[in-house]
Amino acid sequence: MEIDDFDMEEFGLSRNYFLAKESRSSSSKKSVNKLSDIEVLNEKELEAAVANIEPKHQKEISALKDSYKSSYSEWVFKLRCGFGLLFYGFGSKRALIEDFASTSLTEYSVVVVNGYLQSVNIKQVVACIAEVLWDSLNPRRKIPRENMSILQQPLSSQSMEDHFAFLDGSWTEENDCFVGVVIHNIDGPGLRDSETQQCLAQLAACSNVRIIASTDHVNSPLLWDKKMVNTQFNWYWLHTPTFEPYKIEGMSFPLILEHGNTNQSAKTATIVLQSLTTNAQSVFRVVAEHQLSHPDEEGIPISSLYTACRERFLVSSQVTLNSHLTEFKDHELVKIRKNSDGADCLYIPLPKEALEKLLSEIN
Amino acid sequence: MEEATHFVLHRAASSENRDRKSARRKIDNAATADYTELNSESKDGLCQQFQRESFEIVWSKIENSFKAILKNINRDAFNEIHSWVLESFKEIKSLGSVSSLSEAIRPIPIAIDAASKCLHAGLVFTRNIEFVDDLMTFEDLAEHLRSQGCHVANLSSLEFSADIGTSGCIRSLLKQFLSSSFDAVDISILSSWYFSQCNRDTPIVVILNDLERCCGHVLSDFIIMLSEWVVKIPVILIIGVATTLDAPGEVLHFKALQCLRLCKFILQSPVERMNAVVETVLLKNCSGFSISHKVAVFLKNYFNNRDGTLSSLIRALKIACAQHFSTEPLSCMLKVFDEQETFHGEQFDFQHQVISACEWTIPSTRGKMDEEGIQKLVNTLTELKKMQGRWSVAVLCLYEAAKCRQVNLLDLLCEALDPDLLASGPLGCHATSTKGRYISQAIQNVRELSEAMFVNLIKSWEKHTIAIPEIHGKVKDLQYILKFENYKRRKVESPIMSKKRSQNQANVIGGSNAFNETAVNFLECLINDFMQPLECVASHEIVCFKNVEKLKAALAGDPRRQIQVDLLGSRRILQCSCCPRDGGILCPSMQDTSIMYILSQEHGDLINLYDWYQSFKSILLPPSEGKQKTKQTKKKKNANEDEELSEVTIQARFCRAVRELQITGLLRMQRKRRPDHLQRVAFGV
Repeated sequence: MEIDDFDMEEFGLSRNYFLAKESRSSSSKKSVNKLSDIEVLNEKELEAAVANIEPKHQKEISALKDSYKSSYSEWVFKLRCGFGLLFYGFGSKRALIEDFASTSLTEYSVVVVNGYLQSVNIKQVVACIAEVLWDSLNPRRKIPRENMSILQQPLSSQSMEDHFAFLDGSWTEENDCFVGVVIHNIDGPGLRDSETQQCLAQLAACSNVRIIASTDHVNSPLLWDKKMVNTQFNWYWLHTPTFEPYKIEGMSFPLILEHGNTNQSAKTATIVLQSLTTNAQSVFRVVAEHQLSHPDEEGIPISSLYTACRERFLVSSQVTLNSHLTEFKDHELVKIRKNSDGADCLYIPLPKEALEKLLSEIN
Repeated sequence: MEEATHFVLHRAASSENRDRKSARRKIDNAATADYTELNSESKDGLCQQFQRESFEIVWSKIENSFKAILKNINRDAFNEIHSWVLESFKEIKSLGSVSSLSEAIRPIPIAIDAASKCLHAGLVFTRNIEFVDDLMTFEDLAEHLRSQGCHVANLSSLEFSADIGTSGCIRSLLKQFLSSSFDAVDISILSSWYFSQCNRDTPIVVILNDLERCCGHVLSDFIIMLSEWVVKIPVILIIGVATTLDAPGEVLHFKALQCLRLCKFILQSPVERMNAVVETVLLKNCSGFSISHKVAVFLKNYFNNRDGTLSSLIRALKIACAQHFSTEPLSCMLKVFDEQETFHGEQFDFQHQVISACEWTIPSTRGKMDEEGIQKLVNTLTELKKMQGRWSVAVLCLYEAAKCRQVNLLDLLCEALDPDLLASGPLGCHATSTKGRYISQAIQNVRELSEAMFVNLIKSWEKHTIAIPEIHGKVKDLQYILKFENYKRRKVESPIMSKKRSQNQANVIGGSNAFNETAVNFLECLINDFMQPLECVASHEIVCFKNVEKLKAALAGDPRRQIQVDLLGSRRILQCSCCPRDGGILCPSMQDTSIMYILSQEHGDLINLYDWYQSFKSILLPPSEGKQKTKQTKKKKNANEDEELSEVTIQARFCRAVRELQITGLLRMQRKRRPDHLQRVAFGV
């Protein structure tokens, strides 16, 4: 029976996928509307407006969060039983988890890791957790003298393995002493790579550590293999939608309407160009100016570019020009396509506005 | 201000710790404490503490029992491996020995004969693609060899990655043998360490748990290097292989293969291990904790269709156990549910006090727990325990009978736990239907069993039933009947016939004769008298976990489905009065991301941003012209004017909703190829 349900579910999903594909391929339905048709505000105004959006359902959201409070004691019980808590569901779970940690985990030290930040350094995090455990054990003088050697070096200079060995040690008679590690967005950009996830799994497997993590991505279970899930993280899944806005978690995502989605590529192009020589920048400017003045053409033919650059004393030979072009192509600053005569033409894959902005910035 | 990537939220409160300790002390000194005087907060704390301690005791019983059984199941293979290690070590020693430290750390000259470059390697065939289940096996093997006096190190496939090369494995070996880390990674350090050992008659065993996951190039280099040092460092390799015994040929370089002298060992199959664990944990349940039929079926399907690892089954059981203790307070009685038949007086007094203080009740009776109620509870539990003992013996007897038909114990257990099974009629007639199929197969098998095989079957029945005299007696009777039948037949048959018969006995399937029918009667009697499913017994809730939905939710979340359900049914979760009850109707008061996600369902796999924006805008701004507006009341008009949305706000709300959908992974940017489109990722829930 269960197998049938499972198969039907799989069938339904694949059917939906092909239906979706089909609806696009029928050309009559295909929309050619451009994002640039929307009169987009400037970047700063948009950012400010996003920050000031009036929240909806505030009362209901706070009631929803309050309803989870009755489960706090059960969650603590699960942590004490040795599970890691994994919160998922739509909405930011930052406030919920921190509220849980600060009201129900007062008996334990708690370290918070903001996984949504790109710059998380896992080694520093592990060192910090080890330090917190050391501090909480030290007043109790629970560490036997013969085991002191493990911590004789300063904590920061020890290797990850030493930290893990310390965090996994049995330092107290009571097996109820642990450091709670709150990880906001364990699937966030700063923690998403497999090496970091392996480290986190090793951390979670330590007897003196309990992980309380949140995940927002629909594919987050793919981050972990069976060993990590069953023997290291030992997850206890909790579905806790909050519908709270992802204010801080979304900071690293560009706003979709900002300059018609080309803002990021224009920014990247500016950074790359600024790192190149003045001559290279000038060669790029020749391509850009040609593109702006001849919007209907496929781009500037390479032979015309060479002539134009020689005239301006930017390059002395075809070889020099080619080296600049290789650099541009490697960084995807320019692309090549053929015009109606079959000649290779160079063009910059940016819309007019972005290109103008870029030129003004490199000037 | 830039946000910190990590910070300490708070440190453990020392005063609270003291309180906690004192609470624990109270529990420890149960006999002297008076729980009735505690206030409600303290009672809650006491309940939780008590529940947790009960969980720990019960789970540690379960954990110890399955760990012991998993260790035991491979004991013969481990002993075989140990004998081979000793033999290999003897051979290595016969090649020569090192007399000085300088010689020990000097690399061996290249011109050395092939025999002294031979590395003994044991291929341990796990027959299991799920290497996570074998991690413990290799740890047990290491412990076994260590207890026999070998120097042992475990290496994982992560240490054989192409990025680090052989230095990663050598570093790990040095760390494990010398217990300290070195900046310089050199195999000669290991050689000098071995030379400095007082007892140089001890082999060094290096266990690598998963050959197929290693980088072949690095492992080949490692093997070649070890083979060059084998006289000075007598290393014996043990390599775990999951797929096929030919795997070394596929993974290793031929030069490395030439250095190896392979010996093969085979471990018990995952099915055998699974059966052993189910038998120990769920049938011989030393802890008293049980699961309901629905939970057992869920676990079986989860194992067969989703995860397929023993470790996931164990995790699921642990979750079930924890959930049971947190939701059923009286389950703490399992704390004293030990090997003996009845509860101990002292332990019971303590339970009594806590139950009275916390005002726990039996779920099915809902009556207050007075003196009489508690006595009733104790009697019920004692009876439950006896009943469970007989039930599991009956299931084990059936399992022994069905074994040769490749029946898995978990399948049989699911059937035996089914409360509807006995109500559906005699079991013998279910052979073709799905209900009672495995039990019927067991009975049918007994009906067709040959006499020679009966001897073994009855021996196994005798072993299982020894603790239950009333069943054991019946097995003994069967044994006598079998002997008598045998004796009678021998007396009747001529000596020549007897000889012929004994030659063919093992191959002949006996067919349905009188003895087979007696054995079938015995099984049917077991089913009828002792196999009453636990769920049919009063107060079974105390020991039996039933909440399959809760287990399912905690075991493996389904973010892909659940996040979409949250977005599509935000009103149901938020329970607001402003949004329409019908999920299909969109209104501006709904959460922006929900509106956007519902709108996205109308697009194909690509969403045109412009169209999407326009439809979002049309939801937020109700039609301001035409007939509809005239129909609106004045009040509504005013409200619209007040809340009139500027383009700025709509764009901002659109952007934030897209951003949130990107965070959930339900949308993907099309980047440079199609800047005006976004790609949908999920299609249906």
